[in-house]
Amino acid sequence: MRIGRMTGPALVLALCASVAMADQTDEIAHATARRLAVGVCGTCHGTHGVSELPKFPRLAGQNANYLAVQLKAFRSQTRGDPDAISYMWGMAGNLEDSTIDALAQYYSAQAAGGGRAGDPALIARGKTIYQQGLESVGVPACAACHGPDAHGMGDFPRLAGQHSQYVLKQLSSFQSNMRNVAVMHGVAQGLKREEMSAVAAFLEAQP
Amino acid sequence: MNLWRPIAVRGIRILAPALLLLAVPTAHAVPSYARQTGMACEACHTVFPELTHFGRMFKASGYVLDNLKQVKGVTPQREEILSLAGLPPLSLMVMASYTQLATPLPDSSGKGESQNGTVGFPQQVSLFYAGKIAPHLGAFLQLTYDSASGTIGIDNTDIRFADMTILPGDQSLIYGLSLNNNPTVQDLWNSTPAFGFPYALSASAPGIPYAAQIDGPRAQDVAGLTAYAFWNESLYGEVGVYRSAKQGVGPGPLDSTTPGGVIDGAAPYWRIAYEHNWDRHSIEAGLYGATFKMFPDFGAGYGQPLAGPSDRYQDVAEDLQYQFLADQHLFSLAATRIHESQTLNATFAAGKSSNLDNDLTTTRAYATYYYRRTVGGTAGFFTTTGSTDVLFLGNTSGAPDTRGWIAELNYLPWLNTKFSLQYTAYNKYSGLSDNYDGMGRNAKDNNTLYVLAWLSY
Repeated sequence: MRIGRMTGPALVLALCASVAMADQTDEIAHATARRLAVGVCGTCHGTHGVSELPKFPRLAGQNANYLAVQLKAFRSQTRGDPDAISYMWGMAGNLEDSTIDALAQYYSAQAAGGGRAGDPALIARGKTIYQQGLESVGVPACAACHGPDAHGMGDFPRLAGQHSQYVLKQLSSFQSNMRNVAVMHGVAQGLKREEMSAVAAFLEAQP
Repeated sequence: MNLWRPIAVRGIRILAPALLLLAVPTAHAVPSYARQTGMACEACHTVFPELTHFGRMFKASGYVLDNLKQVKGVTPQREEILSLAGLPPLSLMVMASYTQLATPLPDSSGKGESQNGTVGFPQQVSLFYAGKIAPHLGAFLQLTYDSASGTIGIDNTDIRFADMTILPGDQSLIYGLSLNNNPTVQDLWNSTPAFGFPYALSASAPGIPYAAQIDGPRAQDVAGLTAYAFWNESLYGEVGVYRSAKQGVGPGPLDSTTPGGVIDGAAPYWRIAYEHNWDRHSIEAGLYGATFKMFPDFGAGYGQPLAGPSDRYQDVAEDLQYQFLADQHLFSLAATRIHESQTLNATFAAGKSSNLDNDLTTTRAYATYYYRRTVGGTAGFFTTTGSTDVLFLGNTSGAPDTRGWIAELNYLPWLNTKFSLQYTAYNKYSGLSDNYDGMGRNAKDNNTLYVLAWLSY
């Protein structure tokens, strides 16, 4: 498209105005997100996303894309594990995309909570499964997608420091397909309950 | 309404057995909050009506968390001037019950015994407006049809404004105002009177005959305005005042014909509590109290002008709550001890009490367990002791002492439906174990089996 003499400056102005408006919108979304994080989400997930309550996942340091995808899945009621239905379907039901993105960025920018000690034998068993998988039953190494340090890779979520109870419930939900994620359903299908517990204990212990 | 309601008759010189039948217990579970938030009952309740930490925060924040599509109004400066849910937050609660006393009550005409095995269908039906009114304004408003009185009246009400500010270090400070009609109905924990166990009691069995002013007698009888702050979801403080706001006494000013006692001026109320949550545990310890200066009610025909001396009731109470919340097992403890110092300036001067100074102390403690929020129960004890004053209490012994225990089994096929089997046993009633009414009735004759179907939708 040819930009005429008179339309050029106007377009620049329009672009500047649009950038300024976007900045303003961004600022409002971030302020809204912080207020929500401290005043609403924080009641269960901790003010900075480091939940002390094992039922509710730690969000601090989580991959922002992953968080945004999950919030959108709650909003569209496509993530179907029991606590998602009871709590998050409602909680995310009215969130706008800009708020979701700002919330995801807020939690992603928070310092992760660190690991917590657990049963050494269970952690050691979990470490083996996490790093090597269970070839005999077709369970691949978790580290392949979630990273050697479990800090997540690309859009794959961070798992290090996550509450073991939460990880265990999610693995069970993947297995039963209540939380319908094809890749994880395949991975979790071959896992026994005690193997899931071991992986969960290992992940909770990771910094 | 409160389980200890029958005690509202205190101040009337003669406690006729029929008056003890005024017990109209109520409890509260409000599905319109679930509709508004889109969250299941379990987010805010262990099992209704006991609140979780999240439920307490929802209440402290003014009942305004709303995930419904809103009818909105905004100014060009983006200020929200209207945010209204598309549907009103209405709920219905139905309680149907059956009550069996160990020994039937005397017939009120003196012609033998009354019928035992009382059916309440309904015992009560309540309509709630419970939800957001405006961005920082919400309500818990209950209208109740009570089968005992055959009337519809205002029940527990709490309309509140709340807002939050973020302090340095990202600590939250929630602050607000509550306009309510029952001291402690606005409280966040289930260890204080208005929302304490038992959440439902028979309306046709004798209730606890004496209680402190803060422990039920003033429920739905006052209007209170309180201001509160909740720091970092831990430290809670509240102060306010209550003034008489009688129901059903006509539109004019209160005067010497007003039944049930009238507050002289305004009664100050205060509350402080600390809550700590960790792992699956939550613990709260607190103090609360109020001082009521009351113009006494000496019964029909004995009205006094609402001026001059009044009686002073100073209530100071401690409370404690512990909760363990897991998906499979839920356990909670709640306890309170309420001490009332009474200085009966007006009553004593009128020759209607033996002592100028009396005291009354009530202690209650309950333990609750649920498996998967489906099957569970509560057991606990209650005791009230106090000064002996035959003229004031108007009973045979002159002592208010009442004690006993209560056990309840519950089954919830769904989270908003509860079926209860409750048994209350008395070791002492109105000061005596045997012949407490001078007519041969014993404390254990009031032992009560109560079966309840409680539906909220």
